[in-house]
Amino acid sequence: MTTALRDMIANPTTAELDLVARYGMQPADSRRERLFEAFSRTGLPHRRLEAWKWTDFKVALQGLDRPSTPPAQDPIPHAGALVFRFSSNGYFPPDHIPDGLNVFEKDEAQALGAAEDVPLGALAASLSGGKARPATLLLEVTSKELPRLHFQFSGEGEANFARVVVVVRSDMALTVSESHLGGAGLTSSVIEFGLQKGSTVNRAVYQRGTSEETIASTALVHLDADSHYTQTSLAFGAKVARLETRVTHQEPSAKATLNAAYLVGKDLHADFTTHVRHGANSCVTRQLTKGAVLNGGTGVFQGKFFVPRTAGQYTDADMQHKALLLEDGAVVFAKPELEIYADDVECAHGNTSGALDDDQLFYMRQRGLPEKTARALLTQAFVAEAFAEAGALEEVLRAEAEAWLAAV
Amino acid sequence: MDCCGGIDEHEDDCTDVKVKDSIDQSTVDAAKALESENYSAGFVTDIEMDMAPKGLSEDTIRFISAKKEEPEWLLEWRLAAYKRWLTMEEPTWAMVNYPTINYQDYYYYAAPKSGAKYESIDDVPKEILETYEKLGIPLREAEVLLGVEGAAETAATARETPRVAVDAVFDSVSVATTFRKELEKAGVIFMSISEAVHEYPNLVKKYLGTVVPQSDNFFATLNSAVFSDGTFVYVPKGVRCPMELSTYFRMNAENTGQFERTLIIADEGAYVSYLEGCTAPMRDENQLHAAVVELVALEDAEIKYSTVQNWWPGDENGKGGIYNFVTKRGDCRGDRSKISWTQVETGSAVTWKYPSCILRGDDSVGEFYSIAVTNGRQQADTGTKMIHLGKRTRSRIISKGISAGKSNNTYRGLVSINRKADNARNFTQCDSLLIGDRCGAHTVPYVENRRADAQLEHEATTTKLSDDQMFYVRQRGIGEEEAVALLVNGFVREVLQELPMEFAVEAQSLLKVSLEGSVG
Repeated sequence: MTTALRDMIANPTTAELDLVARYGMQPADSRRERLFEAFSRTGLPHRRLEAWKWTDFKVALQGLDRPSTPPAQDPIPHAGALVFRFSSNGYFPPDHIPDGLNVFEKDEAQALGAAEDVPLGALAASLSGGKARPATLLLEVTSKELPRLHFQFSGEGEANFARVVVVVRSDMALTVSESHLGGAGLTSSVIEFGLQKGSTVNRAVYQRGTSEETIASTALVHLDADSHYTQTSLAFGAKVARLETRVTHQEPSAKATLNAAYLVGKDLHADFTTHVRHGANSCVTRQLTKGAVLNGGTGVFQGKFFVPRTAGQYTDADMQHKALLLEDGAVVFAKPELEIYADDVECAHGNTSGALDDDQLFYMRQRGLPEKTARALLTQAFVAEAFAEAGALEEVLRAEAEAWLAAV
Repeated sequence: MDCCGGIDEHEDDCTDVKVKDSIDQSTVDAAKALESENYSAGFVTDIEMDMAPKGLSEDTIRFISAKKEEPEWLLEWRLAAYKRWLTMEEPTWAMVNYPTINYQDYYYYAAPKSGAKYESIDDVPKEILETYEKLGIPLREAEVLLGVEGAAETAATARETPRVAVDAVFDSVSVATTFRKELEKAGVIFMSISEAVHEYPNLVKKYLGTVVPQSDNFFATLNSAVFSDGTFVYVPKGVRCPMELSTYFRMNAENTGQFERTLIIADEGAYVSYLEGCTAPMRDENQLHAAVVELVALEDAEIKYSTVQNWWPGDENGKGGIYNFVTKRGDCRGDRSKISWTQVETGSAVTWKYPSCILRGDDSVGEFYSIAVTNGRQQADTGTKMIHLGKRTRSRIISKGISAGKSNNTYRGLVSINRKADNARNFTQCDSLLIGDRCGAHTVPYVENRRADAQLEHEATTTKLSDDQMFYVRQRGIGEEEAVALLVNGFVREVLQELPMEFAVEAQSLLKVSLEGSVG
């Protein structure tokens, strides 16, 4: 079987052969096989695939387990949260699980819809498990009062894969945060959220890595009627880092808010990719992505709204991406895309990239602020707009962003 | 209008489109007016043709080259392109679907039997003259009334009398070029590219393939191998071309492909405005059109290139129609040069076309104004590429897509700012309107910025008319239908106003039917 799968990847790299070998060591499981097969169609995604033209894992990923640099520190507070840690050293669930949260730790993989669309998500789902870690962690939320859930993904020098599925029952509410901290050649996780009728989820995502690591976070979100999903992400990039979110409005009047900021320094690469399917009437999406990039850094934004015929009527969707190139040598790639088959919709997108507005700088300087301070203030304000919906974690994300900007 | 009583299962049998309540009947009618049955250019000219044997091989290329009595270097150039083409794959990334094309099933050369270029307009077969008259391009009148007998003796007087010089391309050959003599007075070379190869071989050799290389893409490479005719324009240093130049392309023969190649060079400080029109008869088979247009603007030169593309779009069931795979690219080679593309696209079954600007010279400017209307089962994937290489280069993209029937209309564009393009600027606006609920409107912009001092803005909407705008116009006492027409014309005005006057009229008459009272 392993030989057959190896043959599915054309001209496999060393890292890909290593992934095939790891798959061969997993217990036989037809769902796992299906997932790995989905990954094998493309192998590690590369620039010749349209969806990955600016983010090439095949070239970037040299070895799965290197480097020895420790994972980044986790700035998201653990106090008061129910923390689930997925590390290559093991799996560490919270000591106490309160009422309103049902936890199922499964040794089997679980099928993933449209696995071919998310090759790194399929990979994570097929290789998760082992070392007492669940192959799939299933969580059921039956309360509005749960403390925040926090998922921490880190490699500790060894490639790490995780799969989480969260179901939020009707009219329930959840606050959740995630940290993707690198610490290995590759860390990849896939998390799914099913929001039942009238439920709400507020999710915050933090990503940080070094120029020796590749990091992938894949989220699949399914929204039932009148549910409301809010996501705020902050990424600092890695050798390549991709935070991909695919949202499906599957029943009417759901709302998704997708905000993000990327702050990318030298030799780092951060990619935000989103795909929103307005598969039901009268759904709303609001998306704002802000970026700031230094010399030698690369920021990527790919957003797509897909509005099918009939089902997508009365869609109200807006996508904005705004990037600042703070220094010469910074690179920003953007592809804000609309694919629309319904005629009574409001879909808009906007994309800007460039330097700070000279008029704003002039205004602040004539108020007596030194140029450096004026630039810092304007950049902070520019980025902070992305954190406005993050609730209690807004301040944490803002402080992280400010610390980065202050060091520029 | 609910044609199927809400039952979905016979969807494909419906002839009428279900349109939401807010769109009035005139909108539906207007959209229908652009449907195939109203295609006025769909007649066939019955004339004896001289054809190359069907299919594509080295022999076909030698045949074409021999027919045109081309020099050896050009034949070699064609054969090199053909060899390259054999190794290439047809691109599949565009949002268009069509059956696999059998490239051996087409004729690659078709010319009226009586010869290609005629000495005098009197020698042009009357069938062909009538064809152009029917299309509103009176070659004889233009020649007799304005070109030969009288009028402008000098370039200066010519400027005061707005006229258009026409190169008429009928299938694979240019049949007539008007005003050549008068243009020569100003030093402007305006002739078919086949003639230019003989008369100005050095100019052709110097520029051919320098903007769109032989190996550029599948369709451009095919064109390089088999290109038949097209227009050659050279405007010398400091000359403002005294009249609009235009080429009218007509595909007539059955199962043919038209592969024209146009090359326009504006030397330092020159200016030229060039218009292109295209039509084809209604035929059940798909005809192939793979053109290449190369523009070169040297220092301080400006080229304005306008297209009204009205190829036969196929019938309402998607039968027949032109496959339009076109590579158009302008090279702003000199500092302060400017290239402006304006296109009104209403025809073709499948359109694959991205008129682009390479902004190489410092302070050079690229513009792209486009209206694409799709109807029936048409599919258009069109847009532009603005490649900023020089300092302080600027580009502007305005694209309006209108989809009706069961058509799909995609804007696909690239704005790329190179590391050395200090202070580059781009503004992009692409808007889409959908008429009816069976069509699609898509936007796929790529933006690549490698400069901190670049300013790039992109905005796009897909929408119906805003209630606020309607309210504002109506409270000024304007009736509802008139208000809609006003607002929709406003929607495309930014593009129409870029067209030269002669063309704006033609474009407006094409668009009028689709826009008055339309859109909800």
